[in-house]
Amino acid sequence: MPKKEMPAGALTLLILRVLQSGPMHGYAIAQRIHVLSSDQLRVEEGALYPTLQKILLGGYAKAAWGTSETNRKVRFYSLTPAGRKQLEAELSEYERIHDAIQTVLRTA
Amino acid sequence: MTGFFRRLYYLAHRRRLEDELATDMEVHREMSAAAGGTPLGNTLLLREEARDAWGWTWIDRFSQDVRYAIRGIRKSPGFTLAAILMLAIGIGANVAAFAFFDLMVLRPLNVRDPSTLLRFHRRSPQAYAFALPYPEAEFIGSNSRTLSALLLVNYTRVAVERVDKQVEAHFVSANYFQELGAGARLGRLIEPAGDGKPGADPVVVLSEGFWERQFGGDPQVVGRTIHVNGKVATVIGVASRDFGGLSMDDPALWAPILQQPYFAAGSKLLTDFSVESPGVQTWGRLRPGATPKAAEDELKLLAGELRSQHPTGIWENESLPSEPGGYAQSLMNGNSRGTGAEVKSKLYPMFALLGTLVLLILAVACANLGSLLLARGVARQREISIRVSVGAGTSRLIRQLFTESLLLAILGSAAGLALGYCILRGLMTLTSAPAWLNVVPDWRVTMFALAVGVASAIFFGLAPAWQIARQRHRSNFVRQILVAAQVAASCVLLIVAGLLGRALDHTMSTNPGFDYDRLISIDSGLSRHGYSPARARAYLDALEARLQALPGVESVSLTLLPPLGRGAISGGVTVNGHDIETQLNRVDSRFFETMKIPLLRGRGLIQGDTGVVVISESLARAAFSGQDPLGKKLDFGSGLTVVGVSGNARLTRLEDSDSVEAYMPIEPGDPPSLHVLVKTAGRPEDLAARVASTARAIDLDVIPDIELVKSRFERKLKGAEYSALAVSLLGGIAHVLACLGIVGVVAYAVSQRTKEIGIRMALGATSAQVLSIVLRQFSRPVVAGMLIGGGAAVALSRTLRGYLYGLSNLDPVAYLATLSLFIVTIMLAALWPARRALRVDPLRALRHE
Repeated sequence: MPKKEMPAGALTLLILRVLQSGPMHGYAIAQRIHVLSSDQLRVEEGALYPTLQKILLGGYAKAAWGTSETNRKVRFYSLTPAGRKQLEAELSEYERIHDAIQTVLRTA
Repeated sequence: MTGFFRRLYYLAHRRRLEDELATDMEVHREMSAAAGGTPLGNTLLLREEARDAWGWTWIDRFSQDVRYAIRGIRKSPGFTLAAILMLAIGIGANVAAFAFFDLMVLRPLNVRDPSTLLRFHRRSPQAYAFALPYPEAEFIGSNSRTLSALLLVNYTRVAVERVDKQVEAHFVSANYFQELGAGARLGRLIEPAGDGKPGADPVVVLSEGFWERQFGGDPQVVGRTIHVNGKVATVIGVASRDFGGLSMDDPALWAPILQQPYFAAGSKLLTDFSVESPGVQTWGRLRPGATPKAAEDELKLLAGELRSQHPTGIWENESLPSEPGGYAQSLMNGNSRGTGAEVKSKLYPMFALLGTLVLLILAVACANLGSLLLARGVARQREISIRVSVGAGTSRLIRQLFTESLLLAILGSAAGLALGYCILRGLMTLTSAPAWLNVVPDWRVTMFALAVGVASAIFFGLAPAWQIARQRHRSNFVRQILVAAQVAASCVLLIVAGLLGRALDHTMSTNPGFDYDRLISIDSGLSRHGYSPARARAYLDALEARLQALPGVESVSLTLLPPLGRGAISGGVTVNGHDIETQLNRVDSRFFETMKIPLLRGRGLIQGDTGVVVISESLARAAFSGQDPLGKKLDFGSGLTVVGVSGNARLTRLEDSDSVEAYMPIEPGDPPSLHVLVKTAGRPEDLAARVASTARAIDLDVIPDIELVKSRFERKLKGAEYSALAVSLLGGIAHVLACLGIVGVVAYAVSQRTKEIGIRMALGATSAQVLSIVLRQFSRPVVAGMLIGGGAAVALSRTLRGYLYGLSNLDPVAYLATLSLFIVTIMLAALWPARRALRVDPLRALRHE
């Protein structure tokens, strides 16, 4: 269970990062974030799909039909070149802020 | 693909993408359930939230609202029809008024490149004139660098063979048709190359209307010779009907201005610098890149340069202000000239007044519709409570209700646009406006109709929507305000209509200060024929003598301005710091006797008088307020001694009760411009032919124009009749709407309080008591509305003063009559539905609900 709400924008970053390893459908994205965070982060439908729509609208990912492991027709999302660029940008932005916060925490 | 286009793509493929999203989420749930998770939340809501990211949900909501509104409207056709009709009346009146404004001020004339046309007039610190002497215009035309062309028009009347009345002729500069981009219906038009040269063959171009009336539309007319003022001229062509030129009149024919002296034998138009010369109306075409300011500066310099050659012709410090020349408005300034400050245009105050009146109609219609919507809201109470209970928020409800109003407003706008067009069209036909004035709504008028519709939707729809959505129908406050607003607005309209109607009645029953019934006015137009003052004096002496010898002629008099004629000379006298605009005239010694204008004090004018003036009683009061005016000095450019006070006689401005007059003796240069007035003993019609032939016989080159002053008077009244009719129509409609509104709200009040009435009746209340329960709540808004309306009418009618033909704008009869009509009808409108309250059966009422 998530202890707290995720910071704004973090979900986008996570989704983009998870998609870097290959096309994935919605549930898989949520699962992967959940597993990779050692069960610390849980992405609800209500947050996942609006964010995914924004990513699609931004042109960072595209959707294509595929078949799920349960044999259902479902859309797989994959990163576009623009999405890779966006991921890099967001990563460095995230690191910058992270460092800044760390610096404050350490020195204050 | 940029973000915006991607968004559009999502809009276009909404259906498919929505389905895909739904599948995604469904699979998500299945897998999550299989993994032992517990799905939370409402699928539909989650889906909608996800879709929100696309940014198009408002379209869904909006189209939902619109569909819902359309369904609602279709379900109650009666209400819809009533609403659209009311809006059509309110918006239609506004559209007609705006379309008229558009026609006069905003819409360019149907000529080539109207935006680069400027109209010039003359101005000096002491005087102004709208016509320029031809030599001045000619000088400017050949020397100006900022203007590429100067267009000149001289309006005059000529006699054409076999046509019994004189017709309007426009003598124009040879570039006139070419510059204005006119097309010929037949033959050719006047061309600068051939017709612009001195000594060219005399030619005329006929107007299409005149050609049809007088020549039966004969295609062989081109090349024929006709006689104009007895002079031979060749018809070279017929101008197309949609060419109006630079004039509101429909001229019968055009001829080159250089040939004006040929047609008007002896005319000095082309050489005469004096302000008494008929002169030319002057338009200039700006060169590309030049500004009106630059043209004005240059023309001022040119005038100064010309003044050094003609010190008497050009005024000291003369400037030539311009106004945009490509609009109908610039055609409205006729031939006026005068001393002192220019007469302010009456056009804008007139539009302001008209605008106020039509806005009032709209206010009544909107208030009415507002109460109708409120009442309908009560009927929809159930529906709305259901929507609230299934989760519709207040803002969503208001939006929904407002969408309905908006839809009604748009339908109303369309109907109003059509109605407005019909109104204007009808008025144009009624007043026989020139055919080239195109009243078909342009984009401005269409946008205006739409804007007025949306604005009225806000006015009539928002307050009821708010009230309904918040489920507070019991409050009567809004309803009462709406009643008061309707009463006030329709009260103003009715009073104004009453005033105009009374003014009309007043003009017909009282005389305007002079006797117009048995007067014949003769305009020989001697100045057009270049008569010298001495020759004109001899002509007039002969004419007077012969006319006096005719049996049935009572007296004959000379005047510079004919009564109720077109020209006007105004003079500004400054008294105690404020300007009094005075209507000036120069007349002979028999004028007052001929016109039956009483002399109240002092003496009239006598032959040989100089430096004296007879002033009207109104001017005496305005200038000397109570002191004896005799012997006092008045300064109209030159100091004059007041020798007499005459009765008020509105000779030039019949409609304006504030107009003041002054009469001066005829000056030596006047005779060529004088008009002859003949007072007959019997009916003037019987004598008109004799007078005409007598006048004609003096000089065969001169064809005098004979007119009964009575018919001029009737023509002027026609205009007043139209405006009174139009305003009465507006007032009547507003009044009927207001009465209907009252019927509606009272009927509603009765239905709301049926139970209470039943109880009271069971307890023994009398009819009067029952009625008072129902009506009490409306007496206050009605009284308040009438007070506000009356007050507003008093304030508004001040601007009307100039159109009331001498009636006071506070005329008690008009106010009392309209207010009592108002009270009676409003009472009937309230009592009629209230009767139902008396027929309430107490038993049934108590069992109700």
